[in-house]
Amino acid sequence: MSTTAALVALACGAIGTYFARSGLILLLADRTLPASFERALQNVGPAVLAALTINLAVGSDGLGGVEFAEVAALVAAGVVAVWRKNLIWTFVAGMATLWILGALT
Amino acid sequence: MTETPNRKTGRGIVDRQALTDVVPLAIPAIPFGFVVGLAVTESAMPQWVAWLTAPLIFAGAAQLAMITLAGTASLWAIITAVLVINTRHVMYSAALAPTFRKQPRWMRWVGPFFMVDQTFALAAMQTHRTPADFRRYYLTVAITLYAIWNVVVPLGMLVGPVVPESWRLDFAPPVMFAGLTLFAIKRIPAAAAAMVGGFVSLATVDLRDRLGIVVGAVAGVIAGAIAEQIVERRARTSTPATRQEPER
Repeated sequence: MSTTAALVALACGAIGTYFARSGLILLLADRTLPASFERALQNVGPAVLAALTINLAVGSDGLGGVEFAEVAALVAAGVVAVWRKNLIWTFVAGMATLWILGALT
Repeated sequence: MTETPNRKTGRGIVDRQALTDVVPLAIPAIPFGFVVGLAVTESAMPQWVAWLTAPLIFAGAAQLAMITLAGTASLWAIITAVLVINTRHVMYSAALAPTFRKQPRWMRWVGPFFMVDQTFALAAMQTHRTPADFRRYYLTVAITLYAIWNVVVPLGMLVGPVVPESWRLDFAPPVMFAGLTLFAIKRIPAAAAAMVGGFVSLATVDLRDRLGIVVGAVAGVIAGAIAEQIVERRARTSTPATRQEPER
């Protein structure tokens, strides 16, 4: 990636993120959003995070390149995330599963 | 996190309260920041630009997406992914807008820059405070998190190059995203959005420039909206008119 492209991505990301955080505070502080719109916003995070997880896990090698240890690592991370609701334990569980199964297979 | 009675005011008390509250929420951010730092060292972006995402964007999931997608996704796909991930901040902005109305203009411009998940979670419980105390509490929490983040990310960058490839830290981002996905699911429509988003992303994984992320996300949001309607309709039909509470 060229430096110019990276700087454009950085600038757009930084400005977009700032206005996502400040937009309604600066512009619509005296109004409220429709409840249906607020509920719809709550679904954006899970949708995009799930899509990112799968796409990054599969990687550029396609489905054929996915290892059993990687799938097991994601499952272990998911189980611990639901169980402990703690990102540290999620990370430890996922990576430990990947290392152990990777060493065994 | 502790609940603060109204009478607990005063600079020292507010500062202590904010620091006491922020520590448990800051601890989980440390390994996340470390992973972001490691990802910077493996990114196709120039390292100094990737590092700048920490002080300028200050949003872990969005930073991780930008850093890891660089080189494999098109520029617009990276920007779209970052902006879509941060859409939840619009909700935070909406929720705190009435409280920020009582703040001076500089605070309305500066404060939102620091509004990460943890800052919002803590600030949303302090809206009963006087404007001055709320401002002090918010900025103490925000600056503490910002400082920690901007120490941890460079630490990850320093350690990254000496970590052996066999440790498979390239797989750390999807593991973190898997956890964040599940943390974000609090209602049935959100679960539907995540499941459809994940499946469609899997089905479209071969699309070039990682377009599958955007396709999956859009499909997930649509599925979430449909699920919202179904849930609402069922709630309406299952609630007998006689049991509805009168308007107050």
